[in-house]
Amino acid sequence: MDTPMMKQTRSGTFAVLLFVLSITRADAHPHVWVTLHSEIVYAADGAMTGVRHAWTFDDMFSAYALQGIPHARKGQYTREELGSLAQLNVTSLKEYGYFTYARAGGRKLKFLDAADYWLEYKNAALTLHFTLPLTAPAAAKATQIEVYDPTIFVDFEFAKDTPVLLSGAPPQCLLSVDLPHQPTPAEQLRLSQLDSDPLDASSTYGEIFANKILVKCP
Amino acid sequence: MTVPMTTMYRVAVVLSPAILAVAVADPAWAQAFGAPHLEAGIMVQSGPMGWIFAEQAAFYRSLSGFIRASKDDGAAMWSLFGISFLYGVFHAIGPGHGKAVISSYLVANEETWRRGVVLSFVAAAIQSVVAVLVVAIAAVLLGATARAIGVTVHVVETVSYAFVILIGFRLLLVKSRGFRVAWRDWASRRAPGAASAASFREAIAFRRQVYRLDAPAFRCEACQDDGPGPQVHGAHCHDHHDSARGHAHGPEPAELAGAGGWRRGLSAVIAVGLRPCSGAIIVLIFALAQDLFWTGTIATLIMGLGTAMTVAAIATVAVGARNLASRVATARSGLGMLIMRAIEVGAAALIAIFGVLLLLGYMASEQLWMLTG
Repeated sequence: MDTPMMKQTRSGTFAVLLFVLSITRADAHPHVWVTLHSEIVYAADGAMTGVRHAWTFDDMFSAYALQGIPHARKGQYTREELGSLAQLNVTSLKEYGYFTYARAGGRKLKFLDAADYWLEYKNAALTLHFTLPLTAPAAAKATQIEVYDPTIFVDFEFAKDTPVLLSGAPPQCLLSVDLPHQPTPAEQLRLSQLDSDPLDASSTYGEIFANKILVKCP
Repeated sequence: MTVPMTTMYRVAVVLSPAILAVAVADPAWAQAFGAPHLEAGIMVQSGPMGWIFAEQAAFYRSLSGFIRASKDDGAAMWSLFGISFLYGVFHAIGPGHGKAVISSYLVANEETWRRGVVLSFVAAAIQSVVAVLVVAIAAVLLGATARAIGVTVHVVETVSYAFVILIGFRLLLVKSRGFRVAWRDWASRRAPGAASAASFREAIAFRRQVYRLDAPAFRCEACQDDGPGPQVHGAHCHDHHDSARGHAHGPEPAELAGAGGWRRGLSAVIAVGLRPCSGAIIVLIFALAQDLFWTGTIATLIMGLGTAMTVAAIATVAVGARNLASRVATARSGLGMLIMRAIEVGAAALIAIFGVLLLLGYMASEQLWMLTG
């Protein structure tokens, strides 16, 4: 019963579908890559007080951001010369909530404006350091911090070496960094043993994971 | 007569849920309609779009290495140009409103595929040249900061989106007139008894008005070769259409594809092309920082060439789909014409919607000023 008309219609349907598929995709690919180091800061009483970030930008975006910034020596930028750019960065980032999403005990945590921010330029890359203080210290059993850009203009990736540190956390707190990939059998095995055999604070187990930080404090 | 009827229904039945599903499943649309943000990692990694996404991201990232290498290695420069071309091809498949607007425009205006291809290339060329000009003037001549460049791009982009909206609404106005005419035709055919002579006369008069009002789109292209401009031969063309209307409902695509249409095509292409690609700006400034501005410029133009090829291919598919629908539709004169006019109205509405979404920031994800002011 396949008349030529029906065949035509079918291929036409396919073409229109392809067309619609192609046009409704509006999201782009990342244009900025950030290698991420984060430190979760705790007060003496064991409550989390904030997050300290160090974001290293890729060389292309670093060159873009440095365009037109006056500097004394070619190829070198001092912290002072980068002061206004650092301020601009954190002011812009505020609009996007610093791409940092934190939850503790099932509710969202709010951050104050970034503090202690500065930029350093090394190996053709800019690194932005800044601290996000929580509006109020959070003492929860489970805290989750995610860093991502929902528009994927900026791609965040945890650094290979010690991506996340706990600073001043109670010793029994357990840090893990969530998987973007399916866990390998060995990782899966270690994960299943975490309850009976928790990681110690110096463990670098979290390095193999990416993007989502989990801290459990009993 | 029953075959085209059922196939028409099949098209409708197959298409509507499919389009809906695609629209709902798509993160950008989901976002536009208020759904919560998906995590970046989830939408990146699945399906053919995920593959394209990964490819273009990889190409883009490798550009910096090739630019650095081409400083003292001629061979690396050629690799850079090759990668730039591939990046352009892939970049245009994934994101971008350019091809969406151009394709919708071609569908709404019954353009030929040949014109679609040329318009795609012109749009990509304008886009590359604008990127080069912005960087040449702002960065090279004025030593402007990234913030100033970001603001410039933002302003240019906003103007571009406003133009897209204007073009969309203008087309929507014009095409809905055409739709109303087709509607009356169809209604009077379906119930000839009900349609009084008066209302039929009214329809004819209305249609005349449409042809006169609807500027170059419905007028005179067929008469181009015997006169310098549509204004001079306006009356003659109207006669031509009046006599042709007895058997053909509306002008044939071939009639519309004459020389006079280039001007209106150009407005859409300029609106789309005005907005420079963020990637091109970043690449150009990176090249500039390596004292390789000219290499960066050539790479950007080649990128544009790659983009043009993809956009042209998609535009051709869009025009082909429209022509196919048109062929199916002509089998049923009254209803078919009504459906074709409805498709045109839909395409025009799409342009307006794209423009509004872009202006409101729902579809724009290449926000160059995100980190630098």
